[in-house]
Amino acid sequence: MRRFEMILPSSVDECVKALATHGAGAKTVAGGTDLLPQMKNGLVKPAVVVDLGGIAALKGVTNGAGLRVGACATARELELHPEVRKRYTALADGAALVGSVQVRNLATVGGNLCNAAPSADMAPPLMALEAEAVIAGPKGERRVPLSAFFTGVRQTVLGADELLVALVMPAPPVPPEAGLYVSGGSYIRHTPRRELDIAVVGVASQVTVQNGRCVKARIALASVAPTPVHATAAERALEGQPLTPERIEQAAGLAVEAAKPISDQRGSADFRRHLVRVLTRRTLTAALARARA
Amino acid sequence: MSVMKTTRDVKGVGLSIPRPDGPDKVTGKVQYVADITPRGLLHAKLLRSPHAHAKIVRIDVSKARALPGVRAVLTAADIPELKGKPASRAHAVLAIDRVVFAGQPVAAVAADEVAIAEEALDLIDVQYEVLPASVDPLQAMKPGAPPVAELGTEADLSEAMAHSAVAMAKGETPTKAVNVSQTAHVKRGDVAKGFAESDVVLEHTYRVPMVHQGYIEPHAVLAEWDRSGNLTLWASTQGSFNTRSEVADVLGLEENRIKVIPVECGGGFGGKIRALCEPITAILARVTARPVRYVMTRREELEAGMPAPQVIIRLKTGVKKDGTLMALEGETVLESGAFSGTVLAVSAVFLGSLYKWPAFDIKGSEVLTHKPSVAAYRAPVAPQSIFAIDSQMDALARALNIDPVAFRARHLSKPGDPMANNQPWASMGAPEVLQKAGAHRVWKEREAWKKGAKPGTLRGVGLSLGGWLGGLQPTGASVKLNPDGTLSVLTGQVDIAGTNIALAQIAATAYGVDIDKVKITTGDTDVAPVTGLSAGSKTVYTVGVAVLQAAQAARKQTFEIAAAELEAAVDDLELVDGKIVVRGVPGKGVTLQSIGKKGNLYMSKVEPVIASSHPAFSQQAPAFASQIARIELDPDTGEVTLKDFVIVQDVGKAINPLAVEGQMQGGAVQSLGMALTEGLVYDDQGRLTNPSLLDYRKLTAADLPNLETVIVEVPSPAGPFGARGVGEPPIIPAPAAIANAIADATGVRLTEAPLTPERIALALARRGAG
Repeated sequence: MRRFEMILPSSVDECVKALATHGAGAKTVAGGTDLLPQMKNGLVKPAVVVDLGGIAALKGVTNGAGLRVGACATARELELHPEVRKRYTALADGAALVGSVQVRNLATVGGNLCNAAPSADMAPPLMALEAEAVIAGPKGERRVPLSAFFTGVRQTVLGADELLVALVMPAPPVPPEAGLYVSGGSYIRHTPRRELDIAVVGVASQVTVQNGRCVKARIALASVAPTPVHATAAERALEGQPLTPERIEQAAGLAVEAAKPISDQRGSADFRRHLVRVLTRRTLTAALARARA
Repeated sequence: MSVMKTTRDVKGVGLSIPRPDGPDKVTGKVQYVADITPRGLLHAKLLRSPHAHAKIVRIDVSKARALPGVRAVLTAADIPELKGKPASRAHAVLAIDRVVFAGQPVAAVAADEVAIAEEALDLIDVQYEVLPASVDPLQAMKPGAPPVAELGTEADLSEAMAHSAVAMAKGETPTKAVNVSQTAHVKRGDVAKGFAESDVVLEHTYRVPMVHQGYIEPHAVLAEWDRSGNLTLWASTQGSFNTRSEVADVLGLEENRIKVIPVECGGGFGGKIRALCEPITAILARVTARPVRYVMTRREELEAGMPAPQVIIRLKTGVKKDGTLMALEGETVLESGAFSGTVLAVSAVFLGSLYKWPAFDIKGSEVLTHKPSVAAYRAPVAPQSIFAIDSQMDALARALNIDPVAFRARHLSKPGDPMANNQPWASMGAPEVLQKAGAHRVWKEREAWKKGAKPGTLRGVGLSLGGWLGGLQPTGASVKLNPDGTLSVLTGQVDIAGTNIALAQIAATAYGVDIDKVKITTGDTDVAPVTGLSAGSKTVYTVGVAVLQAAQAARKQTFEIAAAELEAAVDDLELVDGKIVVRGVPGKGVTLQSIGKKGNLYMSKVEPVIASSHPAFSQQAPAFASQIARIELDPDTGEVTLKDFVIVQDVGKAINPLAVEGQMQGGAVQSLGMALTEGLVYDDQGRLTNPSLLDYRKLTAADLPNLETVIVEVPSPAGPFGARGVGEPPIIPAPAAIANAIADATGVRLTEAPLTPERIALALARRGAG
């Protein structure tokens, strides 16, 4: 690993100032589970590393009208958080699949998103839950829907002087407060190995049902395009319809059309398209079962 | 071998004794090479070629040399020993004017800190002229393929020699194909006639990619010279004497000027037999006159280690309807990377020897490509060869609707039957192992178990059988009695598998004391008796004999001293609880302690008890394992879940059953990795696309079921207490066992390892569509 300067800000403002000063030569580090291996292998050689560990405002998970997840909340926190497990199940699923327990104790949701790998396990669930990214910069705060956060492989809307602060999302309706609305979500990925692996394909589905019909469907795919993507045509095909196995199978077929996979060392494009169909079917079925549960 | 009977059962051979080094290893207290930090230490780093094949036009190191903290920057031009064509990978210290694989070192740096050395690498400017590369071994054999070696490169048979694997006639006329570096051919009977008379002919091509041994500790070495020109190497090696010879050869040094200290070795599995980074580290230490340490990164290990060869085997087999074997035709291609060095003959001999084919014709070729050169990996090329022949036997049994175990048992070679090279099979327990596996509940109850499959999942059970001929190498050991009556055993043998405890157990039983009175030490090359590699499943098999003989000789010396003292005949004496007594006269005796003391007393006339033995060997002890896999398979995703895995193995005699079971389980895990997930994946330019343990997938505990071990003991005639080699057989059967289980579950025969979810799911999808 190359030598570097370390900055330890204690507030979001200090951090943004440090980023503004050092620009693109600086990298932020939270859990370090993505950055450190990249630095050790010489893939990135930042002159300055800004440690986010001392910024209290980035930590924690707050449950209210919706969910606010601090950028430095760990995958393990989300995996074990009672409210996330109850109402934001796709996110709990995704968080529980990152790395291994040891990795999840360090890895943060902000790191998972800002690393911007197409395979990030927490991105599709947060997209399916319609999360927004809260971003701090020199001119203050702005919000970007997570669906618009990723701009390419390892690229996001974040400017060199900006910092992801939190993710906020509305609460999916659950009985009794939502009357007849019920909602459920699921994230499933395929990996050749059970742990310590990267999604060959990951699919998150969140469905809201009223009187037996789907009123909202959100399906997001990982590892099938330069960024995590919504399967929009599949979502539209489900809304207003009863979620029968036939409808679900049709949506799974439409989801394949949203996938623009490449062939690489983790899987061929053919296999990825095959998996999108299988996992979309399975996540929709699981999401529906959870909505009814 | 006749074994002298001890007069009382001592705590020694046959007991399950935990490795004494275990607690220090799991608590991180053991010092490896990377932990040794002498004063003035410098850190080495190597600049490696990004291209698989290129001409080096120019190297500019001036900026790197100017970086503060950098103590040396070397290219081939700075090293007088490097001249012309390297004879082996170890000689290719730094590329001279051409690189022949991506990851080949072209420059070396020694600096005060690792980070400074890495920055210096960034400052070295190399201009390459990229050349077309031979990446696929089948393409590399064709006329006009880009040549890898300089013309006239000889086959390197030292790996085959090291493993004493098989004797066989040398290849016929050297072939003219430019990248074919070795050939082999075994043949018997009339193959064409055999196929013509067959009712069923099956032909498959099996492929297993290059795989990495996956030792936890990467290659590491620390080098320091003294003022007289003597070199000391602290090395992570499977054979310190071999390391000494190779380094001496590369540096042009006399062997007694090099001391190799074998530091605790964090795994080798065949990958730490040949020298790799020792010569360049020694040269950096000489140039800087400072101790220099080099520790490879995991990425370097995967990109530029010495993996196992890719093995491609085409098999065509003919049988009669009643299951009679008629003919086998085989073609084996071993991809050796940029330098020759595979055990080609093993593959050919195994394909033709395990079952009694009346006619066979097997041709083998070793092919060079622009990839890192290969080395041994635990039973080199045996898992790949058994993947082919056992899958083929299973497919034949299924095609004929014959019980797969009965089919194998009917045709299995037995001791005395001729192998493909016409040498007779030595004493071996393959029939007993197969019988035991076939009688195991997991195999017997397979049909009932399969019926319990949940909707949407498939279940299958597969069994396979494989073995290893076992290596041989001269060795030595000494045993001495200490003044307090304890024993010290000295060998030069590196303990990479828990062998030292087994050797100590042999010494205890052979001498006649409990194991807690025995300490065993692995000495460095200056003090230890010369010995061979810790490889080829031969440490206990050969060094065990040396220890046994030395302990028996020490016992004899001890008894002779006691006989003189007690004025009794040696034959009338017995050793009981550390005391030599006259049989039937319990009061009359002399303690080991007093004999030991007299051997080390001022003015004493009693000779010290020190005995040594240095045997050489001629009789191999083949050892076999059978494995049974119960799998559940998700036909949509292709995911395989291992539900049960059974390892049945003939170990001759389990000197330490606990250690034997550990070897059986560890070997099985590596075998399952080869079967399910592992493989180095190269792009069409010869660059590795998965240079990390994230994408080079070793299995984790979460992927594994309970591993049940069943020890079979068919004693070997020459091994200590009848022991056979234990390390290699358990890595052999799993790829075939898993392929057979998948075929059992799905009806689809997969022939390309690793048997990944993708290959399974797409094969099932193709079958569904077709």
